[in-house]
Amino acid sequence: MKRTSQGYWAITWRQFRKRQLPMRGLVLVVLLGLVALLAPLLANNRPLIMRYQGTYYFPVFREHPRFRNVDFDELAATFEKGDFAVFPPVPYTPTQYDLTEHLQEPSKKHLLGTDDRGRDVLSRMIYGTRISLSVGFVAVGIYIAIGTVLGAIAGYYAGKVDMIISRFIEIMICFPTFFLIIAVIAFLPPSIYNIMIVIGITGWTRVARLVRGEFFRLKGQDFVTSARGLGATHFGIIFRHVLRNALGPVFVSATFGVAGAILTESALSFLGFGVPPPTPSWGDILSQSRQYIEFAWWLTVFPGAAIFLTITAYNLVGEGLRDAIDPRLRQ
Amino acid sequence: MSSSRNFSRVIVLGVAIVLLILPVLGCRREADDRQGQRPVPATTPGEPVDGDWLIRRMPAEPQTLNPITARDMYERVVNEYVYESLLDRNKETLEIEPQLAESYTISDDHLEYTFTLRRDVRFHDGTPLTAHDIAFSFDRIKDPLVDAAHLRNYYRDVESVEVLDDYNLRFTCTEPYWLALEAIGGIPAIPKHVFEEGDFNKHANNRAPVGSGAYKFVAWETGREIVLERNDRYWGTRGHLDRIIFKLVLDDTAALQLFKRGEIGAMGLTPEQWVRQTGGAEFDRRARRLTYDQLAYYYIGWNMRRPFFSDKMVRRALTHLVNREGMLENLRYGFGKIVTGGFYINGPVYDHSIEPWRHEPAEAERLLSEAGWIDHDGDGIRDKDGVPFRFEFLITPRATFAEQLATILKEDLKGVGIEMDIRQLEWATFEQQVDDRKFDAVAMAWSLPVEGDPYQLWHSSQAEKGSNYVGFINAEADEIIEKGRREFDAEKRRAMYRRLHAIQHEEQPYTFLFCPEALVVVDRRFENVRAYQSQLALEPLEWYVPTARQKYGRENDAP
Amino acid sequence: MRVYIARRLLLAVPTLLGITAITFVIIQLAPGSPAAMAVRLGGEGVRSDAIAQEIVEQTKKLYGLDKPIPVQYVLWLKRLVTFDFGTSYKDQRNVLEKIAERLPVSLQLSLTSIFLVYLIAIPIGVYSSTHQHSLSDNVITVSLFILYSLPNFWVATLFIMFLGGGDFLNVFPIYGLVSDNYAQLTFWAKVGDRLWHLVLPITCLTYGGLASISRFGRVGMLEAIRQDYVRTARAKGLSEKVVIFKHAFRNSIIPIVTLLATLLPAMLGGSVIIESIFSIPGMGQLAFESILSRDYPVIMGITTISALLTLIGILLADVCYALVDPRISLE
Repeated sequence: MKRTSQGYWAITWRQFRKRQLPMRGLVLVVLLGLVALLAPLLANNRPLIMRYQGTYYFPVFREHPRFRNVDFDELAATFEKGDFAVFPPVPYTPTQYDLTEHLQEPSKKHLLGTDDRGRDVLSRMIYGTRISLSVGFVAVGIYIAIGTVLGAIAGYYAGKVDMIISRFIEIMICFPTFFLIIAVIAFLPPSIYNIMIVIGITGWTRVARLVRGEFFRLKGQDFVTSARGLGATHFGIIFRHVLRNALGPVFVSATFGVAGAILTESALSFLGFGVPPPTPSWGDILSQSRQYIEFAWWLTVFPGAAIFLTITAYNLVGEGLRDAIDPRLRQ
Repeated sequence: MSSSRNFSRVIVLGVAIVLLILPVLGCRREADDRQGQRPVPATTPGEPVDGDWLIRRMPAEPQTLNPITARDMYERVVNEYVYESLLDRNKETLEIEPQLAESYTISDDHLEYTFTLRRDVRFHDGTPLTAHDIAFSFDRIKDPLVDAAHLRNYYRDVESVEVLDDYNLRFTCTEPYWLALEAIGGIPAIPKHVFEEGDFNKHANNRAPVGSGAYKFVAWETGREIVLERNDRYWGTRGHLDRIIFKLVLDDTAALQLFKRGEIGAMGLTPEQWVRQTGGAEFDRRARRLTYDQLAYYYIGWNMRRPFFSDKMVRRALTHLVNREGMLENLRYGFGKIVTGGFYINGPVYDHSIEPWRHEPAEAERLLSEAGWIDHDGDGIRDKDGVPFRFEFLITPRATFAEQLATILKEDLKGVGIEMDIRQLEWATFEQQVDDRKFDAVAMAWSLPVEGDPYQLWHSSQAEKGSNYVGFINAEADEIIEKGRREFDAEKRRAMYRRLHAIQHEEQPYTFLFCPEALVVVDRRFENVRAYQSQLALEPLEWYVPTARQKYGRENDAP
Repeated sequence: MRVYIARRLLLAVPTLLGITAITFVIIQLAPGSPAAMAVRLGGEGVRSDAIAQEIVEQTKKLYGLDKPIPVQYVLWLKRLVTFDFGTSYKDQRNVLEKIAERLPVSLQLSLTSIFLVYLIAIPIGVYSSTHQHSLSDNVITVSLFILYSLPNFWVATLFIMFLGGGDFLNVFPIYGLVSDNYAQLTFWAKVGDRLWHLVLPITCLTYGGLASISRFGRVGMLEAIRQDYVRTARAKGLSEKVVIFKHAFRNSIIPIVTLLATLLPAMLGGSVIIESIFSIPGMGQLAFESILSRDYPVIMGITTISALLTLIGILLADVCYALVDPRISLE
């Protein structure tokens, strides 16, 4: 019986699965992803499913002109026999406000408290997952991609190629990113993605330098020489052999990059370059928490906890991946 | 594997600890003053004595202390005590009265203003102040090479000055204008012998002012504080406090802590701090709380060039939709007064008989429908002639109230079928957009003089290139404004402006929001403290500290 | 090596030119100009002086902003040759003077905190890697991640409120770098005073970096520990300490060296947030305010000096690569 080789990624996945902690990290990441995807089902002031006067409606999924501006709580009071409504677990939208309930501590009514306008913090956190995760992926995705490639090339070839790429890196490090952001905000329609793309395009330098450093180190090692001896192409050597060993710092960078993107988004929010109001995001809650910092602890603690969970999850996954890729750790 | 169990346990424990500690931290609110349990001697109202220092908080540093090139209000606060001008406004009566000038006459055609100066005024370096200094100051303002374009703007009609002798001078105007007296009277008197040499814009004394006022400049430690000391040879009523120090503290929380520690003697608070951080008997024992109406108002400007906002009914409907009462009550804890027009609420023009439009969404919907804005295509958004009612609302960051207002308004407007997008721009970009008239609606604020000329904001000629951003063009208003400029009878003029106030209320070019109230705390050891209704409401020149409670003395020479 | 260094120094000149030219152009591209900022600014968007077009035009002319951009750049370069960075648009002071006044302040903070971060984080990283998956490793990791997730403005404010007097304990001063009576103190009292003022801000600047730097160290060590030469060393009977510190560690610090390149430009940086909360007039505030007020001369001054330091820092790091690991060649 012939045993076919399983292929690189299949092996990696099997190795990854065997490690408990990284798997839990992955579960957490997937959970966060689900929360982001299913946000409207988790936090909404309309029922998921409702039976009213004999007909079934699904207000969350389809908007009925009849119920456009109806307060569903009031409607529920007029229910007749056989009518029912199932509300999402968090019965508030992120933009719904109530001035009389502003800056409330966490309570039964608002599990994570309210902000300065009486908006439910839990609802905003749930929807905020969308922004915070996607922002992390966009920015980090871009700069890992660019940085890894450029750093690998510079580190592998060294010499003249390195001279040129390094100069380019230096120019990018000193680039006035802030002004680019200002210009982008002024000239393009408001969207946090524009900002994140700018950050991705200008922020890859750190990763590039890390990868370049690793390549310097690894290039002189025996496995590279033997790969060349076996006739591997440069491209193959870079991407199939050396890069896999250089990924350690890249993963750490990526992990903290995603968390960093969230904190950056908070700083940008504070300056006015963040998500356009009233879009909820963890960073936005954080930046607003500054004003009420003396007593509204819930506005800081919960986004902080979310950030903590995110970096822990990503860190575990990243480490698990790195370990799974490393042939010396095959289990 | 035991390691993963450990790990999970640690995470759970960690999170639990964090979540448990935090509410405890939240429970500390009863801002009791645990420090300073020293018994406080009863204050004996009596004779004011000299001594002690006042340390005031400065939330930002002035760019310069040259009163002519300065552009920010922090310079004003400091130079209030250092530099003087021909005339001044009495803080109590708000009337204009002589300061450096002993007397003045105005020609019948209101084109010539002749001033006679006091003879006993000396600059802080001992040199007598003469008409030559005033003329010099005026020339600097008019000089196009001096970086004072914003100030020059107010002296366009004041053509020249003629020095008649050491203590008499005459200003000549090209047009009669009722504000000319105040403008001329407000020229800060800077010493010619100090500033005539060197580049005026970069002069060393821009950071070491030499004036004639009740306090003289001692030191400016950049990034930290500005120190003034009493002028013992002042011609007028001397102050009692030995020193006034302006301490730069950027952060509000840090400032309040410094106040509670006793390192700051007077500062302004945010409504949150006022309500939640400074209540309690302990605090009241150590500090005095004052409020006054600021000379400013917040508003929403509707760009009347847009199809939606060109109709008066729509603008009125929008005003009905802005819950001014609710926001003032809940977001600012009621510290403010709703205004109905562009004049200072405590000034001589403001017409208090005009009732603000109430928050009435039903009425708003009626007006909108009547104006033709109905949801014809059933998509939930009102439209007219194929144009959906969708607009962009411009705000700046770090203007908390504007952002709160915007999100609340967006939600409310959605309920009546109007779609509003919020656009937040950083200050410089925001300015550019507004100046270019590239906005639909904007949330801003104006600061006001006690009594001013509405020309810049409300005249049609300013609609394209001036400060009339919203494009308010109204023939009757134009006439009032033009006539008002030449009306020297104060009562007549004020009556005319009152009609303008009524027009503003009718037309709603702005949705006027409110005049904010300033919240100030002052250490209780200062006596004779009150808040005036004027640009600079606190008057430390009157304050004193009884000897027994003085904290700083001439001996501690540290600035 | 000498040739390499000489070549790099020579290349620095065109790089610097490129950086300054790009910055010069981009900052003017962003909307808003210092001329338009010639308005009295109050808080919360309050304007008191009506602006007419002419005012803007007059001010523009005064600042030389009416000339075409390339001309302005050349003029700026000409002055740069004599180390004349011009005068600030905001307060007409000499740019170099403004920077020099703030530099020592930022130096005290940033150098000390960077030094502390590396001092604490690297040993933690090494410890973590040698005790991978143990209880102490997990506790440390979780604690560091929690610290990372706490926004620094929150921690700073907490310090101010609870340790800065006023309401609770009065342990640390919260204003500036020295006390009011600094001038009267004896030499040693002065040193103590300064140190005491530095404790809180430096703590705020340091705790966040611990997590990421220690992870970089950890990842590098894990990589190194698994190498064959480590196994060989152990087999040879060398003590664990020697194995770790003499052999593994040297090979793991490449990422650390990479990151150290940012040390020099960091001297010129600073945290705007910490500086504003503790009222410390540093470079962070200066840079931030200049950007917001479009103070071009100051922005160019800071960028130029920062770029110079960055280039030197990177050069030093590259040289260090070769020194640390003899297998690395930069050619």
